[in-house]
Amino acid sequence: MSVTLDTACELDPRVSLRAETFGALAYHYGNRKLVFLKHPDVVAVVRDLSRHPTLADTLIAVGVHPDRWPSFVAAVDSLHSSEIVRVR
Amino acid sequence: MEPTESVIATKITEPITPVAASSARVVVEELLIEEISIDGMCGVY
Repeated sequence: MSVTLDTACELDPRVSLRAETFGALAYHYGNRKLVFLKHPDVVAVVRDLSRHPTLADTLIAVGVHPDRWPSFVAAVDSLHSSEIVRVR
Repeated sequence: MEPTESVIATKITEPITPVAASSARVVVEELLIEEISIDGMCGVY
């Protein structure tokens, strides 16, 4: 399953986020995957996913310009593949 | 001896067609995440 703008997602509870100067580090305690979140906006999106009905709503709430949405969809889809983010 | 500069003027005979802004637009995907593997790092720490 691919993540789209209409997908409802959330950060997997087995993932810890650690703030860094470039954004954040995400570590999954189950599969031991480590992912660099390389922009503060993607950190804000990942943190807020569970608070909004869809990814699109999260992007709007965080203030991500629509021109950048394809990159964010691809990023969250990749995070879903890595189990950092899960569909709810 | 003074350096010389030559200018070659080329007459453009073909019509110039402006490129529409939408077709010239290039979408650059941001690099937002990077996954690294820590498998095989046993013994490093």
